[in-house]
Amino acid sequence: GAMMRKVILLLLLLCFTAHTRGKLHSPPAKPGLTSCRSPEKETFTCWWKPGSDGGLPTTHALYYRKESSETVYECPDYHTAGENSCFFNKNDTSIWVNYNITVVATNALGRAFSDPVEIDVVYIVKPNPPEKVTVTVMEDKGWPFLRVSWEPPHKADTRSGWITLIYELRVKLEEEIDWEMHLAGQQKMFNIFSLRSGGKYLVEVRCKPDHGFWSEWSSTSYIKVPDYFHREKSTWILITVFSTFTFLILMWLLHMNRHNLKHCILPPVPGPKIKGFDKQLLKNGKSNQIFSALVVPDFPPATSSNYEDFQVEYLEVYVRREQELVLEESKDLHNSCLKSESSTSDCDSGRGSCDSHTLLMAKCREAKEGERQTDRECSPMRTEAQRRLKDWEEEALNYAHAGIVSLEMSSGRVKTWPSVFSPLPRYSSSPLDQQSSLQMAKQLSLSTSSYLTQPGHSTKEALGQSYWDLCLSSKQPHLLNPPTPVCRELQAHSDVNISSIGHKRAPAGPRSPALHTTEYVEVQRVDNKDTLLLQPVVQGCGRMGGCFQMPHGEVYSKVKGVDSDNVLLLQREGMGEDRCPCVEQETNEVTGSCHKSCTVSTTQKPSGCIYTAVPVRDEMATMANGYVDTATMCTLHTC
Amino acid sequence: MHLVSVIQRGVWAVLLWPNLLASSVPLDCREEQGILSRCPSISQEKLLDRVIEHAELIYRVSEESCSLYEDMFIPLQFQRNQVGYACITKTLPVPSSKNEIQQISDKWLLHSVLMLVQSWIEPLVYLQTSLDRYNAAPEMLLNKTKWVSEKLISLEQGVVVLIKKMLDEGMLTINHSEQGLLQNGVQPQMLESVMRDYTLLSCFKKDAHKMEAFLKLLKCRQTDRYNCS
Repeated sequence: GAMMRKVILLLLLLCFTAHTRGKLHSPPAKPGLTSCRSPEKETFTCWWKPGSDGGLPTTHALYYRKESSETVYECPDYHTAGENSCFFNKNDTSIWVNYNITVVATNALGRAFSDPVEIDVVYIVKPNPPEKVTVTVMEDKGWPFLRVSWEPPHKADTRSGWITLIYELRVKLEEEIDWEMHLAGQQKMFNIFSLRSGGKYLVEVRCKPDHGFWSEWSSTSYIKVPDYFHREKSTWILITVFSTFTFLILMWLLHMNRHNLKHCILPPVPGPKIKGFDKQLLKNGKSNQIFSALVVPDFPPATSSNYEDFQVEYLEVYVRREQELVLEESKDLHNSCLKSESSTSDCDSGRGSCDSHTLLMAKCREAKEGERQTDRECSPMRTEAQRRLKDWEEEALNYAHAGIVSLEMSSGRVKTWPSVFSPLPRYSSSPLDQQSSLQMAKQLSLSTSSYLTQPGHSTKEALGQSYWDLCLSSKQPHLLNPPTPVCRELQAHSDVNISSIGHKRAPAGPRSPALHTTEYVEVQRVDNKDTLLLQPVVQGCGRMGGCFQMPHGEVYSKVKGVDSDNVLLLQREGMGEDRCPCVEQETNEVTGSCHKSCTVSTTQKPSGCIYTAVPVRDEMATMANGYVDTATMCTLHTC
Repeated sequence: MHLVSVIQRGVWAVLLWPNLLASSVPLDCREEQGILSRCPSISQEKLLDRVIEHAELIYRVSEESCSLYEDMFIPLQFQRNQVGYACITKTLPVPSSKNEIQQISDKWLLHSVLMLVQSWIEPLVYLQTSLDRYNAAPEMLLNKTKWVSEKLISLEQGVVVLIKKMLDEGMLTINHSEQGLLQNGVQPQMLESVMRDYTLLSCFKKDAHKMEAFLKLLKCRQTDRYNCS
């Protein structure tokens, strides 16, 4: 029983004590001093927070003690600063000493002491916010800016320097969230730049002493920035518009000239510009056709003013077989001539066999026959004089001298070494006065040139063939313009690569056609295209039989050969007042012997001695049987 | 019952135990503590700095007041030069020459400052009343002089505390010599109030500068004894 009662009492006591906190009367709880603040370092205020009052009316009192003094003072002013506060005025405030402050809560049941707080007035200064904050919009060269000005709180004695305050302001647009902070230092004015046109701004200012707390923000000031137009922006707009126009115009121009530009930047690759060159043929791979296509139909030129002085008769030149074959394929008119002659050509290396007297003779005969044929066939290409020359030639053949090695070339047949031809000496007894030496020379030269310019081209030879109808005929003097017998001595030697023919001297004076078939053609000159210009020579060696003999020496020149520089070396034979050498074919000529030293004569007789050194093709072959020997070379100089 | 009572007391004790710890225990003071610091007292260096700062302010304001008064009421230069010898604090045993100042001890420095301060409290009050009687005294002048007199009193308190701290002397009784400095120091020819007021202002300005100098010297001596002048 007693035990239980004690326990019950104890439980009740516990319950009551638990209850006491909430409901039952009890001594007050301990108050707490929340903060003490001084607005101007001359006065200060302390606030406390009371604890629970224990259900009974509770009073609070603030007691303070000055440093190192035991005197306890009570708060002089409980009302000025509001509820639960104590205000210390100027007389009670000393910056020299610390304050020890305690708040005591008292009710009927007891007291409660708060924790004491030491106060140093200088360190608890929290000024009032700055006052009279004004914001104005000002302009700086068209750009607006905000000028914010304010005054320190009226209680803070900054004028005397008692308190030194520093200020800070913040700005933001109305619609923004974040503030833009600016520290203004001790000045009381601040400028804000970079404003948005037409924006509404909010400005606030606060201050702080050297040692102390930041004040509260001042009341917000609103300002609206007027709309302004960027002067710069308008300039940029103008610039952009102009540049756009310029750009469009440039593009238009480029577009109009795009073809020209394309040619300029990407020039077209030049194709082959050879006349007559057919790319398709090249692709087909038939070289023969290609080359044949390159034949210039009208080459050598049919007419040349240089040759007008010459009366040329036919020249017969042998041509090699292969060349003849090619010639056959040529599309020229001379092809017919060539073909007719192909059978008669003998193109073995030992051309000498062809060139032998007998063979030549035989060939000449054959050629002569063929010539007739070709003559008929090539009649359109020949003049009547040529025909006559040919006839004369035939005659001459009949009278061929043994000692004369003459290669008579049927018309249309050109005997050539690679690009070298040597005209056959013709013996013509018939007067050649009427033969146009010029014509002959022309023909000769033309064919020569054809060989020269197109070495190795058989077509050339073919071309020349027609002209090379050695149809010198002395019987037809009237056909030739200058009534000079054409003495033509053409040495055609298969072994000799003679790119040009030396002077061919037409033997002056008429000859008996039966005996003197030598016709001389004087090489007039060689033009820059290596064309040997021949002129039938009528001169002192006109003695019929002498032209081809040594006595003609002075006017003859024998084609000795061609030197390495492709120079036609002529040997001057004999001498004569007339220093026109003529190419003479001497049967008794030994290979390689020059009877005479070549007289290098740079002077030209008006009669037209022309010495030409004509570049000769590569092959050199020694002649046999007195033909022009390459071993002994005499160079001729052009007049 | 005994147990119950014991239990009750124990319970009360448990309930009221926080109150037992109500009395605070002063902690050691640290220099850098801010608000609600537990430092029992302001340190000596800090106090000296504050006193010096105070004195500087007083001097500055007094200088401004004097120049303001001069510009307004004393236009002629010759009049300004007359006040040099009529300062009321001449009679105080305050060192005035540099030699004396260097030889004086810290204690006497402080006491000199205190004497000066104390001797000027009353005249300034008189000056204030005198200026109030003016017709055209500017507001600023009045405010300044008023401010100065207030701050002077505060300075006196500070110096007293400083003396107590530095010299470990007891509270000095603020002994305002009521000898009537004004009566003694006022020259007969200075009956004119303007000149009198002006004299007061300028003399005070000089003395304020003196106070400031003494205090600064004192501070200098605290840090480096032998390099101060």
